[in-house]
Amino acid sequence: MTAAPASFADAQQPNDDRSILSVRNLRAHFRTSHFGINRYVKAVDGITFDVKRGEIYGLAGESSSGKTTLIKTIAGAIKPPLEVVGGTVEFAFLPGYGGLHRAPPAEVARIRWRHLSYIMQGSMNVLNPVRRLRRSFADFARPHIAGTEKEFEKAVVDHLARVKLDASVLAAYPHELSGGMRQRVTIALATICRPDFIIADEPTTALDVVVQKDVLGMIRGIQREIGSSVLFVTHDMGVHAHLTDRLGIMYAGRLVEEATTGEVFRTPLHPYTRHLISSLPRIGDDVPRKGLEGAPPNLADPPPGCRFHPRCPLAMEVCSHRVPTMIETAPGHRVACFAVNGDEQP
Amino acid sequence: MSALLDVSQVCKTFTRGGLFSSRRIHAVNDVSFRIDAASPEIFTIIGESGSGKTTLSRMILNIEQPSSGALVFDGTNLATVRSSADRMAFMHKVQPIFQNPFEAFNPLKQLDRYLFMTRRRFLAAGDQTDIDVAVDDALRKVGLSLKEVRHRYPHELSGGQLQRVAIARALLSNPKLIVADEPVSMVDASLRMSIVNLFKALRDDLGISIVYVTHDLATAYYISDRIIIMQKGSVVERGDARTVLNAPQHPYSRQLRAAVLLPEVATPAPAAATSS
Repeated sequence: MTAAPASFADAQQPNDDRSILSVRNLRAHFRTSHFGINRYVKAVDGITFDVKRGEIYGLAGESSSGKTTLIKTIAGAIKPPLEVVGGTVEFAFLPGYGGLHRAPPAEVARIRWRHLSYIMQGSMNVLNPVRRLRRSFADFARPHIAGTEKEFEKAVVDHLARVKLDASVLAAYPHELSGGMRQRVTIALATICRPDFIIADEPTTALDVVVQKDVLGMIRGIQREIGSSVLFVTHDMGVHAHLTDRLGIMYAGRLVEEATTGEVFRTPLHPYTRHLISSLPRIGDDVPRKGLEGAPPNLADPPPGCRFHPRCPLAMEVCSHRVPTMIETAPGHRVACFAVNGDEQP
Repeated sequence: MSALLDVSQVCKTFTRGGLFSSRRIHAVNDVSFRIDAASPEIFTIIGESGSGKTTLSRMILNIEQPSSGALVFDGTNLATVRSSADRMAFMHKVQPIFQNPFEAFNPLKQLDRYLFMTRRRFLAAGDQTDIDVAVDDALRKVGLSLKEVRHRYPHELSGGQLQRVAIARALLSNPKLIVADEPVSMVDASLRMSIVNLFKALRDDLGISIVYVTHDLATAYYISDRIIIMQKGSVVERGDARTVLNAPQHPYSRQLRAAVLLPEVATPAPAAATSS
């Protein structure tokens, strides 16, 4: 590979020793090969960010912005056609390997669930449908919790009380519970080993609004209690405003803006972020809202330069041939846009 | 004033289980409302999953028959619509838009064929040029053109574009009523508002009434004229959308209203969030 493209200039940020996850320049592409012609879908293309200890880091972006690929790569769930092309993922509890996918399987098995756990969107797909929940808890957590069977059972029951579930759910099959209860079970399952880091991928999207608020409150409560960090992915800006501490906005495989959640909502800088926030209708407010022209780009053939420029109201000449870098405009507020940062030299 | 759609005391009961242990589920319980023919409007049905809102919309589309009560569309009781000629006449005036555009279209079929088929079926078939013009006309109403859609497969378009094609297809038969079941919940955030605005334009410019089924209170507030809020099959609150959503009266509507997560941060960010 020749000289690093401009977007990677920000890779050399000082590594904050409070950070539990450092992602540097991560690039993960899907490779498809037909008749000897390789096509790359650049789903994650040069992403750099940190997640600090004890914070909830939100990732926002629409479908096909690469947010699911990003967390798959972070979680080490890399299967062909997905390939990690470059960059590193460094967990504080697994130093030196540059990613779960590079670590030996024994190491990964050691940290899984003990240090790193997941809350996924489809709770029905996480829980084994033909086993009672007691068995699911044993499958997931028993290897990581010492003590006798009795102590383990007590720990599970105590932990279920945190998500306001009764011990009787342990005897139930997943289909016997409502969607909200099932999602609470998966939250309990993901947090019972008090992991340092939890990846949550759209955990409340399938839930009703009333239930969603309860479940978000529980995620927040448990996270505060056990002091985990959470990487929380959803496209719903209302959820981000309600829950997350810091927020990264993704567009077409790249991070375009990052700041504390309050700052993103109060002073969004990137035109995409601004649109995302201003287009949301609010109850009690009759201002007409506009949709954005055009469609998210096809990642197999993304536009050159800034990937947002074909839809951007502030697009300039430079945007179509150079990639803007993430530049810190205020402490902790990074944005990648020529219109905001000026025509900077990398 | 004549009613476009008159739903009176409609109930729908599903029976689950066998001969010995059957359970009756009241999916829709005594729901009544009417939409006037003279003033097109966006009528919104709000409810969480399991509230019966989809069953109700399926009954309006005459896919599902009510257990009791009657639905009268434009003077015709839907229970009498049985012959295929009657069904065609009914579908001519009432068109559906479904939640997931990726599931609504066959992935192996070119999109323009749906449009041509609908056009041929509902309006006397002209030659191909006439059909092209009519299809292009419908696509232009939703901000697309035949040039963009011709010979394209569903996977080549984004969810927002596909949903617009679905709306254009529904417009081809010049319907009086469109039943849209969660039409924007699968559409990307940056495209959602253009679909929602499109519904407004259909009402204002083309005079089409829309039954908008959703669980999203914010878009409901944004576009609807009247709403009903459903819980477990029954209507718990109804009225003017602005009035109901600004000051809900029923405990359940209040609960729904309180659960809406506003896309804004009111208080300064908590201490843990400050950057180092």
